[in-house]
Amino acid sequence: MAAVDLVERCLEALKVKGFDKAQVRLITAERHELQAEFNKPSLLRTVHNNSLALAGIVDGKRGSVTLNKQDDDAVEQAIDTLWGIAQGSIADEANDISESQPPQQFKEGPEVPDYEAMYARLDELLQYTASTYPTITMGSAVVDHGKYEDILANSNGVHFSTTRGRYGAQLMFTARDEGGVSSFNSTGLALNDMNTPIAEIATTDTLLRQITEQTITKKVPAKFVGDLIITPDCLGSFLSFLTGSIAAMPMIAGTSLYKNKLDERVAAEMFSMHSRPLDLMGGYFVTDDGYPTENSTIIENGKLRTYLLNLYGARKTGLDRARTGGGCYVVDPGEQTLESLIGDVKRGILITRFSGGRPNDRGDFSGVAKNSYYLEDGRVLYPVSETMISGNMAELLLNIVGVSRERADFGIGVYPWVRTRGVGIS
Amino acid sequence: MTIRDTNLAGFSNRFDEYTELRLQQNTNVRIALLNGDVATNTKSVNSGVSTRVFKEGVWGFSSLAELDEQSIVSCIEEATRNAQFLARHAARDDVDLPGERASHESDFATTKPRKSQREIIEFLKSLDDHIQSTYPKLHTRAVQLWNLDMEKRLYTSDASSSYSNVTRSLVYIKLVTIDANNQPVELTKPFGGRGQFEDVFDEPEILHEKIAGLHRHLMKKREAVVPDAGTHDVILDSELAGILAHEAIGHTTEADIVREGSVAGEYVGKLVASPLISMVDFASTYDGEVLPVPVYVDDEGVESRDTWLIKEGVLQGFMHNKESAQHFQTEPTGNARAYQFYDEPLIRMRNTAILPGTDKLEDMIKSIDDGYYLMWPSNGQADSTSEFMFGVTLGYEIQDGALGRAITDTTISGVAFDMLKSVTMVGDEMNWGCAGMCGKKQIIPVGMGGPAIKCQIHIGGK
Repeated sequence: MAAVDLVERCLEALKVKGFDKAQVRLITAERHELQAEFNKPSLLRTVHNNSLALAGIVDGKRGSVTLNKQDDDAVEQAIDTLWGIAQGSIADEANDISESQPPQQFKEGPEVPDYEAMYARLDELLQYTASTYPTITMGSAVVDHGKYEDILANSNGVHFSTTRGRYGAQLMFTARDEGGVSSFNSTGLALNDMNTPIAEIATTDTLLRQITEQTITKKVPAKFVGDLIITPDCLGSFLSFLTGSIAAMPMIAGTSLYKNKLDERVAAEMFSMHSRPLDLMGGYFVTDDGYPTENSTIIENGKLRTYLLNLYGARKTGLDRARTGGGCYVVDPGEQTLESLIGDVKRGILITRFSGGRPNDRGDFSGVAKNSYYLEDGRVLYPVSETMISGNMAELLLNIVGVSRERADFGIGVYPWVRTRGVGIS
Repeated sequence: MTIRDTNLAGFSNRFDEYTELRLQQNTNVRIALLNGDVATNTKSVNSGVSTRVFKEGVWGFSSLAELDEQSIVSCIEEATRNAQFLARHAARDDVDLPGERASHESDFATTKPRKSQREIIEFLKSLDDHIQSTYPKLHTRAVQLWNLDMEKRLYTSDASSSYSNVTRSLVYIKLVTIDANNQPVELTKPFGGRGQFEDVFDEPEILHEKIAGLHRHLMKKREAVVPDAGTHDVILDSELAGILAHEAIGHTTEADIVREGSVAGEYVGKLVASPLISMVDFASTYDGEVLPVPVYVDDEGVESRDTWLIKEGVLQGFMHNKESAQHFQTEPTGNARAYQFYDEPLIRMRNTAILPGTDKLEDMIKSIDDGYYLMWPSNGQADSTSEFMFGVTLGYEIQDGALGRAITDTTISGVAFDMLKSVTMVGDEMNWGCAGMCGKKQIIPVGMGGPAIKCQIHIGGK
């Protein structure tokens, strides 16, 4: 109740100050993190923090202030600061807050951490790795639990509250043997419980096995144009150009490659992708601009079905506001097995991690294929090093020729293996 | 209770084990003008207390958002309980932290009257108006400000104490034009560095010439060609050398990365680069000047020392915290740093640089028949194998010793300990980059520096 009272008091104070419209969001968070370094448990970390975000609009001018204090003096000072920030801004009729909506409460996930279970899963992972893959050094293995309480309210009468808990795991590891040292690799998971060994979730065990093979690598035999098979671990990196380009800033600036592409083909017909924050453990219920989030289809059978515009972006461009706040991407499975996807490749790379420069606005990219394998005549031949790939992110989606039946669920995204063509490899 | 004036030593009677107690406040101001509209206008202040306790070879950590006496006591108690929990499960007898005592106070806050956010927006608007009126054919212009103040007070059970307030003010200018194929071509550059806004930016006019340079390069990039993919002779400009130092060698020689398996672990005392190459992670000053991220006492209470990484091509050693120093039987170097109050200190670079040589940039360019001059970086990444990469947003062809056409955005990569052996010329002018933000579990500001370098490197393209 104290949190609700604080939010309501802040809203009232913002109105009294003279703001025409105001939004207040209070997030109270607690995080518990068990960490191992170099194969041994090393740290138990607890973080208590909160975030009080105040936003106000006066005469069309907007500002926001975020602080992590809740006492009266701090709040009063923050409101004074916000008044100065907003008054100093420039009026923009696109500035607004969400309209009146019925109040809603959301609740999901485990709220209390089970330290003993977390420790048991961490210890089990370390023992499994040491016995099954003794050449691996687990540079960092983190098992964590986070809980937050989130209240968002605004001067139009909006009031949403969320209580959410979740477990998670993040691993970073390398291998070393008489042949040499591997590149590092990593993975991250959002979890509902501690019921499953971490090595059995998503692609964790595959990545651990693969890293032990990657201490001896070769360059690709020559520069060529070939196929990429993008693993679930890496697909998000390749989709981020599209999801970034359909977000507010590039759409407002007019630099997005996807402007005027709604309902047009932006990927191969076999490719469909959704944002499902309501379904995944890493998801959320309320967007930053004050709406209950919805699951949305981003690409349906290759056609772009929505931009990812927030309220400001929608008002600025005259386009529809997205029903999702983005993230939690789920790509539909295809009809081929992973084995047959690989079997169809004449020459290419199975890429597990992409280390590259940011693509330009046109989508041109180049970067290094890490933890990756050279493919030839349908076979996985050897792990590669010093191998650069280059191409265009938009063309890469249009050139998809295969999507696997198998998928990996990381809790923050669900992805299949995807085969695409026409990538420069050197 | 202010961070500056709090006496943390008064809480030392609450310490049962080796303990670090830290108060910290990070203040961020972000303003973004997109084609003249204020798209972002925000200030955030995040402060609190953290405690890290070492018991029987393992750590407990706690942090709270409040800055009062009771919260500090609660924080110490929770961190101690966490250490006790982990020690019950995983106590070790092979770690004994070295004792270190240091004391220092440094404050890089301005002594000038502070400008209001309205005045700062007016500064940015003036820049935007100048760009719009001077270069009316641009498709898009973005003017963004990012100010970051990091204020810390630390006390440890070894009686180390420090206060620091390290500040940074950056203005990013992004210009976008349209090429002959009706496609956007962009170029972004940060300006500014250490200090608060009032000390770094006087009048907007000081940036006009720099914006003109940015625009000239953009017009050349509008006609850019795709580089030839593969290994080429290149000149890395001094503005690029810092990220080379940071990504190629710096990360590989952080002692925690070495413990994870970095190849650098095998190379101490060995020739890993051309004898022309020397490289140092500087603590706070170089050549009498205070560097972009000065660290005098780190977040474990260790006096921060310059760390030689490479001397005339030979690998000298690594950057350490207390635990890694004990593991490698050496001295801690003062590289343990945390970004937020709720973060634990990690081994981080401070101001990492390749030292200048004797060559003139124009001679270096003249020495290449067929290659590239690579000027401005974007993001980068390192690896345990020393294979690094970073993006290049501005570069030119070199043909017969002269600059040619601009090239499109690209990525360069190499195996650091091979690539550095290919260095044949090192420029005589040092350049420090002040906008670096390194990611390694936590983000943190870093300084990067170096001269122009002639070497062979792998370029992405067609």
